[in-house]
Amino acid sequence: MATDTLRSGASAGGLRRLLLDNGALTALIVLVIAMSALSGDFLTTDNLLNVGVQAAVTAILAFGVTFVIVSAGIDLSVGSVAALSATVLAWSATSHGVPVFVAVVLAVVTGIAAGLVNGFLIAYGKLPPFIATLAMLSVARGLSLVISEGSPIAFPDSVSHLGDTLGGWLPVPVLVMVLMGLIAAFVLGRTYIGRSMYAIGGNEEAARLSGLRVQKQKLAIYALSGVFAAVAGVVLAARLSSAQPQAADGYELDAIAAVVIGGASLAGGTGKASGTLIGALILAVLRNGLNLLNVSAFWQQVVIGVVIALAVLLDTVRRKAGATPVAAGAGGPGGKGRQAATYGLAAVVTVAIVGATSFLHNDSSSTANPKVGLSLSTLNNPFFVQIRSGAQAEAKKLGVDLTVTDAQNDASQQANQLQNFTSSGLGAIIVNPVDSDAASNSVKAADKAKIPVIAVDRGVNNARTDALVASDNVTGGELAAKTIGEKLGGKGKIVILQGQAGTSAARERAEGFTKGLKAYPGIQVVAQQPADFDRTKGLDVMSNLLQAHPDVQGVIAANDEMALGAIKALGSKAGKSVSVVGFDGTPDGLNAVKDGTLYASVAQQPSQLGKIAVDNALKAIDGKKVEEMIKVPVKVVTKENVAGFTG
Amino acid sequence: MSDKDELLRIEGIRKTFPGVVALDGVDFDLRRGEVHVLLGENGAGKSTLIKMLSGAYHPDGGRVLVDGEEVHIRGAQDAERLGIATIYQEFNLVPDLTVAENIFLGRQPRRLGMIDRKTMEADAEVLLKRVGVNVSPRARVRELGIARLQMVEIAKALSLDARVLIMDEPTAVLTSEEVDKLFAIVRSLREDGVGIVFITHHLEEIAALGDRVTVIRDGKSVGQVPATTPEDELVRLMVGRSIEQQYPRERGDTGPALLKVEGLTRDGVFHDVSFEVHAGEVVGIAGLVGAGRTEVVRAVFGADPYDKGTVQVAGAALRGHDVGAAMAAGIGLVPEDRKGQGLVLDQSVEENLGLVTMRSATRGGLVDLKGQRAAAARIAEQLGVRMAGLHQQVRTLSGGNQQKVVIGKWLLADTRVLILDEPTRGIDVGAKVEIYQLVNELTAQGAAVLMISSDLPEVLGMSDRVLVMAQGRIAGELDADQATQDSVMALAVSTNTVNTEKEAPRGH
Repeated sequence: MATDTLRSGASAGGLRRLLLDNGALTALIVLVIAMSALSGDFLTTDNLLNVGVQAAVTAILAFGVTFVIVSAGIDLSVGSVAALSATVLAWSATSHGVPVFVAVVLAVVTGIAAGLVNGFLIAYGKLPPFIATLAMLSVARGLSLVISEGSPIAFPDSVSHLGDTLGGWLPVPVLVMVLMGLIAAFVLGRTYIGRSMYAIGGNEEAARLSGLRVQKQKLAIYALSGVFAAVAGVVLAARLSSAQPQAADGYELDAIAAVVIGGASLAGGTGKASGTLIGALILAVLRNGLNLLNVSAFWQQVVIGVVIALAVLLDTVRRKAGATPVAAGAGGPGGKGRQAATYGLAAVVTVAIVGATSFLHNDSSSTANPKVGLSLSTLNNPFFVQIRSGAQAEAKKLGVDLTVTDAQNDASQQANQLQNFTSSGLGAIIVNPVDSDAASNSVKAADKAKIPVIAVDRGVNNARTDALVASDNVTGGELAAKTIGEKLGGKGKIVILQGQAGTSAARERAEGFTKGLKAYPGIQVVAQQPADFDRTKGLDVMSNLLQAHPDVQGVIAANDEMALGAIKALGSKAGKSVSVVGFDGTPDGLNAVKDGTLYASVAQQPSQLGKIAVDNALKAIDGKKVEEMIKVPVKVVTKENVAGFTG
Repeated sequence: MSDKDELLRIEGIRKTFPGVVALDGVDFDLRRGEVHVLLGENGAGKSTLIKMLSGAYHPDGGRVLVDGEEVHIRGAQDAERLGIATIYQEFNLVPDLTVAENIFLGRQPRRLGMIDRKTMEADAEVLLKRVGVNVSPRARVRELGIARLQMVEIAKALSLDARVLIMDEPTAVLTSEEVDKLFAIVRSLREDGVGIVFITHHLEEIAALGDRVTVIRDGKSVGQVPATTPEDELVRLMVGRSIEQQYPRERGDTGPALLKVEGLTRDGVFHDVSFEVHAGEVVGIAGLVGAGRTEVVRAVFGADPYDKGTVQVAGAALRGHDVGAAMAAGIGLVPEDRKGQGLVLDQSVEENLGLVTMRSATRGGLVDLKGQRAAAARIAEQLGVRMAGLHQQVRTLSGGNQQKVVIGKWLLADTRVLILDEPTRGIDVGAKVEIYQLVNELTAQGAAVLMISSDLPEVLGMSDRVLVMAQGRIAGELDADQATQDSVMALAVSTNTVNTEKEAPRGH
């Protein structure tokens, strides 16, 4: 119920009641106990604060979404709106010299505006909330890319303190989360608009016929959600000291999951701020614990999905058991069934979590081997999978315990993982940044803890790394341009498929392409479009470009995946009338070179990158001197030399 | 003891819901080839009884026998297997499927895993011919009028080889011509040996169609009589007491007109509706379902728009389609669909009672929760809402207590013109009288009450004046002293109004 207050005393009976009435809280406690039992690093003050920080952004977003879900709506746009608000703040303050205070107001106004548009479309345009906010999801994301021109913008220092700690230990994001949680609880419990949310969500027609101005309230509800999204965006950007146009991608789903885990119904009419907070904490505890336990990055996603389902199932079963008519005699068989169901499910959850994690986490305990963490930007791409393989092979050879995490191209998730590495006291950290700016705060923290940091593939800005192990992207880009220029005899039309906007690799390679093409004035670039380093997008973008430019003779793709997508789009033209040059030299790419569909690939040596990074991490642990810049050579692989080349 | 023609026998059936005993010892039996009428007031337990036969409810006590053997009907599948089909007042048809698809829904003839449309439509054609309705099996159900929807429902029941056909007030929504047609179909089904349970409020239909009558009152079967029994006797059985006792209307002096409606028109729905309700007066609106009564009062309350006409409260004109303005002028609406429109079922008694006054109890965006609780406690006490406490979920209250909560939220707002739309539908007799007492108190304090009811005795017993609506128009006005069921019904079915337009199709 919305307003029930638990006045039960401090007795054990009161506690039991509290747990029985609140499936999510039970699940959280079970999780914490399980994690503490499995990992000695979990139950420390530092780590628990980490969990708080890592829950903060999701929780703040989820508080806003709670308003919407209680009123029987849905808001899918919060992640994008968060990114847009942060981008507006950074853009106005950093790029246009607007006073920081005004920039902060602008960011909040942006959130309100996005929410008002959602609310207007829903209340007056009669659009289903799912559709209206789905549209806003796309619009807000697009606008933040437009404003930032695809690159991260440095966040003003004064606002970045929101990502720091107070007194050296109390993280500000946790404070902001608690504050926003209190505001949300107050709005839901005490204010007119909050009480209206429950009435509208419970029965919109009854609310309307009782004189509630449903349409106006909806406007305000979505606007509130927008405000919370803006605050979440600012906190997120402050943690990373950088406003990323691609930040908080997919966070709306985490936020909705947190709200639902917290006991709200998507049908509306129920939900509490405290439940939402617990939901967000459950997600954060899971991610943190699975990192600490060194569970494989792929299995982490499986475990998280299973726990979300189990947590909500626990609550549903509990409710069903508890929903027997009041008059049918409370405390009778209904009460017993309800207790049994709760205990039963709690037992299942415990066994599932303990079983899964102990089965999945690589046995790493109690050996004297040096420990190294490797945080990869993504494992969705063969290039990074090869970095991992090279690193793992080398670690095995040298007797190093290597923990690998996958940031799924999300800078803030990477910040969480680096934080977890730092607090679990590893000997060294290898980081492959999602974003060179956004990783700086986390690396600074590791430096402070005197943990050596090796960057691999991409550098870290504004923070000291002991070494950067990378291929030279600019040189590689120039080589790619040169290869296509020579192949076409210095004359012809080409298209360029760019990498994901906002990543350093995309920028540097594009720079290299431009530099290299200067030597070939006869080559005309008829189109440049981003395809996000993704094979499917490469296929789609190339198909579209072929409609406009059927006569292209060459394609430069900023990685092999996009090149392979382009080859699919070109069909039989590939390797015959159109020459495609890729980048990276992944196994698939090299196979295509063998087959002749890919003319050339500028090959990095990803497994070498991984290997050399581990070597240097071990050197740093042993206190030996490491070079600051280690260039792993790139080379152009064509049909002639492919046989002898291995990554 | 068992009769070879006996299809169905019910012995001492009992069913309770939280706070209400719906059925307490009902006996009933049905033979092959007869029309057995179930007669009783609203809330007497007829619907509960037929829901036991269709498998929607399971009895708490007593026995149900089919062909002399005890059965337990636990769901629609069980009922179907036993050959029992039910046609509810609200049809169970899917608007966007065709007639044939609806008839065979879930049982479509299949060939190689695909639906065999040809066979299905041919079979549907035969069934439709049998019920004597001229509808294409390929027509979409959405496009059909009420009467044809009912025929489709009957065809669906026939397709199940139903031996027992239960019809819940099938004539309530039909014109007299359509009623004649329905009767012809029912008679031919009876000749085919189908046993028919027929529920109706129209006493004259009993003599025209029925064979036997079982009367249910307050959840008990109080008698089984032949259909030839005089109407007076049937009424006595049904009500069980004199009408004066059941409808304790105390008429007082009436004051000036509080609500004045002039020429209210919404194209295709209602036309040129004019009436007044004075302070201290109860005006009833009678008429058939679909006559436009609910639509008129919703427009008066501002819940729906209207095209022409004016609404005045105490002499001041009201803006149309603005619930806020109507409320500010002192109008309150207790809607027809209590659960769907009157209550937030998952919220507490306290929250529901405070819904209307929430805005006025708000200062600077904050709701005065303490004040709201005190007010809710006071009104719940005054209305005698039977509940475990103010925190009880409204969903778990009985119908009568739920209705008290809906009325209570308007009383808290000092409502001067209270509109009651079917205020006692599905409410037990005891709670009904309590609600009538409330109406008396309200009018004694100078409020005006406008009451829609399909329950003729209620309209006659509780109103000071009766407006009768037919086909979207006011067909006439009767003084309560002179009005009789016959005179009201005569106006309700009258088609001699200047109306030439067709009744607008109503969505289902």
